[in-house]
Amino acid sequence: MRRINKINKYFIASIFTNTTIHILLIIGCFFMIFPFIWMIISSFKPNIEIINIEFKLFSSNWTLENYKRVINEMPIYRSYFNSILVAIVATISTIFGASLAGFLFAKFRFWGKEILFFIVLGSVMIPIQIVIIPLYYMISKINLADTYIGLVFPFLINAFSIFLMRQFIYGIPSELIEAAKVDGATEWRIYFKIILPLVKPAIGVVGILSFLWTYDEFLWPLVVVRSNEMMTLPLLLGRYSMSEGGVIAGPSLATATIVLAPILIIYGFFQRFFVKGISMTGIKG
Amino acid sequence: MKNILLKRNHIRSFVIIVSLIVLTYYIFVGIWPFIFNLYMSFSKSDLSGNWIFVGLNNYKFLFRDPVFLKALINNFMYLIIMVTIGMVSSLIIAGFIKRTSGLAKKIYIALFFAPVVTSLVAVSMVWKLLYYPEVGIFAKMILSMFPVSPPRFLADPNTALLSIIIMDVWKETGLRVIILHAGMEEIPESIYDSSRIDGASSITQFFKITIPLIRPQIIFLIAIYSINALRVFTQIYMMTTSPPGGPMNSTQVLVVKLYLEAFRSFKAGTGAVISLVIFILLFGLVLMEIKSFQQKWEY
Repeated sequence: MRRINKINKYFIASIFTNTTIHILLIIGCFFMIFPFIWMIISSFKPNIEIINIEFKLFSSNWTLENYKRVINEMPIYRSYFNSILVAIVATISTIFGASLAGFLFAKFRFWGKEILFFIVLGSVMIPIQIVIIPLYYMISKINLADTYIGLVFPFLINAFSIFLMRQFIYGIPSELIEAAKVDGATEWRIYFKIILPLVKPAIGVVGILSFLWTYDEFLWPLVVVRSNEMMTLPLLLGRYSMSEGGVIAGPSLATATIVLAPILIIYGFFQRFFVKGISMTGIKG
Repeated sequence: MKNILLKRNHIRSFVIIVSLIVLTYYIFVGIWPFIFNLYMSFSKSDLSGNWIFVGLNNYKFLFRDPVFLKALINNFMYLIIMVTIGMVSSLIIAGFIKRTSGLAKKIYIALFFAPVVTSLVAVSMVWKLLYYPEVGIFAKMILSMFPVSPPRFLADPNTALLSIIIMDVWKETGLRVIILHAGMEEIPESIYDSSRIDGASSITQFFKITIPLIRPQIIFLIAIYSINALRVFTQIYMMTTSPPGGPMNSTQVLVVKLYLEAFRSFKAGTGAVISLVIFILLFGLVLMEIKSFQQKWEY
């Protein structure tokens, strides 16, 4: 009898704590997405209603005025194109570069391998913030400032992706590669026919992360871009943040929505893939 | 050994081409700029091409600059506060999420993770408006819940840095939660069962079992985020723009200072010294983290 009572007590207690946990988590989730909801709703409100003494989440005068202003005042289409182009080039280059280097480091033995790996490892400690002045000097001296090549150059490959690929390719059985070699396949053929198809999950992670990082990069474009034509979306937003406060709240929020919309939509569809891929990298690290 | 392909005597085009690509690229974006940066730190230049050797002048000038010292302190404050609040909140949330299941769990994870994938520039912009003093949303929320006058957030030197840190914690919570949660899922349920028989409460279990067993993930996250805290730029630049670095330099940090010196005041030499300071701090942090990773094996 006493035992049953005890179980009952635990049971009630656990229902109670479970409910509390769910309530707390729901509140937490609300805070996680509230800024986005506010951003999207406010971007369709007249400017004066966004930051106002009277707080109303929903306005009675919906308007597209803010979006019209952004399109008229800022080179938004061009910036969109620039951002996507730079991010795609960096992503493709990182996928190929990192998988090639990962294959090299995981499956080959050659003179200088340790030194080369040490250089890649060391580059983790030299992020772009540290070398931005000489890098800018170099890029501007060879007249690549304010060009696509200059914009994308520092993001063509990164050490993190090389490590991830190396780790992943290390897990591929060498017998598979040996067998292909016996059949007379070259290393290039093995890379394209065996390695690339087998590292698809890692390609997904590296691709997503490279795309997001480059799409969101702010400091390097801020330094290297001079003309309106070469602006990326983050720079466009940065320009709005220059003018203080509520005066341009509407257009800023419209721009922020334009910047975030593709990411949020893609995330909505491939959410599980994102989460899985990124927790995989966490365990590896 | 098993994992390494057989040596071949003839020269392999694959190895040579790929190593040359990697080597050349890292010489251009890493090694050479780093050495050049050292040289720059001893010279005076406005980045137009003239370099005048000035010895240690840049160093002397910088270490007497109170704004630089303020930036250094702010970076440390940022690191400590952001990592502490971030880790504690993420541990609690991950622990909570572990106790849910099914669809609810998936939805929680998806929503907590949403800010991670979004653009930092854009969310900084949004939060700047949410933080709007007196008539902004957060000010009104606090006003409606507590009988105090709300802080002025980014406009007040005392709260500006903390406000930015809270935004940063908000944005990255999902990533920490997912990594910690993945670690928690790997702990065998039998450990919890046997401790429950011994009468351990779930709070005791959390501190005595969960946290020690996900120590690798915790160290990994602390490592990543302390490095991030040293490199922080975008959110400071976006949220406290006029002047950059916030009211009374209350949000001034090293990378912002570097940017202002090199690309606004055109003192490349001073900027180069700041780069070196960041590098040394980063180097120290990485060494410390390697050490704590090694401790794991003795544990």
